[in-house]
Amino acid sequence: MAVAIETQGLTKDYRSPLKEPGLWGGVKSLFDRKYKDTRAVDGVTFSIEEGELVGFLGANGAGKTTTLKMLSGLLTPTSGSATALGHVPWKRETKFQGAISLVMGQRSQLWWEIPAYETFKLNQAIYGLSEADFRRHLDELVELLQLGEHLAVPVKKLSLGQRMRCELAAALLHRPRLLLLDEPTIGLDVVMQKNVREFIKAYNKRSGATIMLTSHNMTDVVELCKRVIVIEKGRLLYDGALDRLVERYADHKILRARFEAEVEPSDLKALGTVVKYEDRTVTLEVPRAKMAASAAALLRSYPVADLNVEEVAIDDIVRRLFSHE
Amino acid sequence: MKTYWVAYQIALQETLQRRSTLIMDRLGGFAVVVSLYAFWTALIGDKATFLGYTRPEMLTYVLALNILRSFVFTGRGWQLVGEISSGKISSYLIRPLSYHGYALALDMAQKTVHVIASFFEVGFLAWLVQGELFLPRDPATWLIFGAAVLLSSLIFFFLEFAISTFAFWTSESGGPLFCFELFLQFAAGAFFPLDVLPLGLRRVLEATPFPYMVYFPVRIFLEKVSTAEAVRMLGMEALWLAVVFTAAMTIWARGVRSYAAEGG
Repeated sequence: MAVAIETQGLTKDYRSPLKEPGLWGGVKSLFDRKYKDTRAVDGVTFSIEEGELVGFLGANGAGKTTTLKMLSGLLTPTSGSATALGHVPWKRETKFQGAISLVMGQRSQLWWEIPAYETFKLNQAIYGLSEADFRRHLDELVELLQLGEHLAVPVKKLSLGQRMRCELAAALLHRPRLLLLDEPTIGLDVVMQKNVREFIKAYNKRSGATIMLTSHNMTDVVELCKRVIVIEKGRLLYDGALDRLVERYADHKILRARFEAEVEPSDLKALGTVVKYEDRTVTLEVPRAKMAASAAALLRSYPVADLNVEEVAIDDIVRRLFSHE
Repeated sequence: MKTYWVAYQIALQETLQRRSTLIMDRLGGFAVVVSLYAFWTALIGDKATFLGYTRPEMLTYVLALNILRSFVFTGRGWQLVGEISSGKISSYLIRPLSYHGYALALDMAQKTVHVIASFFEVGFLAWLVQGELFLPRDPATWLIFGAAVLLSSLIFFFLEFAISTFAFWTSESGGPLFCFELFLQFAAGAFFPLDVLPLGLRRVLEATPFPYMVYFPVRIFLEKVSTAEAVRMLGMEALWLAVVFTAAMTIWARGVRSYAAEGG
């Protein structure tokens, strides 16, 4: 399979003016402005095959959006290199731009006052789609995204979910071979999130397009992505299968035990971290190495009715990665 | 080319969709013309001419102002400032599209609607005051005037574009844009003919592109300048357009390069 995206030591520094607090600080910064360089992305190297659907994870400010912006050609890196679909993105060549799309959940490309259909017509002209291709692609998108009657309504009158679906349709009308999605389900209700997820999956399958998505929504990641790339403070932390993330980052397992009689939870501290105790059932986080010993001690010293050892859920791990724990 | 034609049509729809904004805009412009008319009528009084303008010429100047404001002074500067500061500009930068061409198409749509509206207003006002208007007899005057106005509107468009582009570097580029528009109205002769000003100041202004936006075109229309002089003015306009266009493109290219929309 061909490579869709390849980055080598991709790095981006932002320069922002420093301002001392207060009015006097404002006046001072007028004459003597000091800058601070912040490294948003720090030497990130990865490669994505054509047709892959990859989750891009990290806490707020970890550098996800910055990376997507570099890959779409909006930002020029400070150092390092990248190619996407064989092009250097920030050269912004017409051929490259005609083959990609970047959707940012909080930004809109739709015309506000008039129906979304008009924006679609504009994109048809921009991407040079024939009338037949336009019809075919649009019909498919209308069906997949259940747009139907929403096409004729001024965008400002649409609900957030309807607008987001129109946004996706506008971004996909030209059948991009590379799709960069930044928080595609943000602000949507649970049912809509599910619809959008199913759509992304279907689009990936049908068109064979390469998709890279960021999301704070764990369900998005777990349901869509076999592979994830995790970055933290601009650095690549993990690149590989989602399942393996657990083995790598969960240094503990979950031990759950139900007792025949009430037990004093604080007595259990020696065995592991008590996460919860209710209805005579305790949930403990136990370091992997201590698991056998803790389980044995529990069975030996307490009236255990039932005992269970589990891996930490993927969601929890990724949530921890997000929250810098 | 098709892209810009489609953009033009969509923008036309949108302008018409925003009816209350359109009506407010027109009412504002109309009020300016009416007050200018009242002001100049009071100044002329019983005199046959004032500052070299006869009564029909002055009325024509005032009415022409309404049409020229609608055609020349409608850029996309505020939209650009808004789209840069909100980050919406990103959605254009990643599409195979020339933002200048796109903005110009949008601007043309806006001009179409406003010029049509201004013709109605001018007709109404002319009927209301029953004054005599000055209409050029030489067909060449109409032609040169048309060309001059077209160049004026392009000079304004790219000048405003260039200033708005500073939004790439500062979040406060709305200030300069506002000052520019105010100063421009004065320096272009949109409040009064520049003949009112002392000669020294007039000479200074004439060395800028501003008088080419209203004052000179109207003087061409009123046949206050010889044909040769009018053609020379056209040449100067073309030159200014080249300068302003180059500046706008250069600043834009630099702006896009330094564009770093931070965060999400």
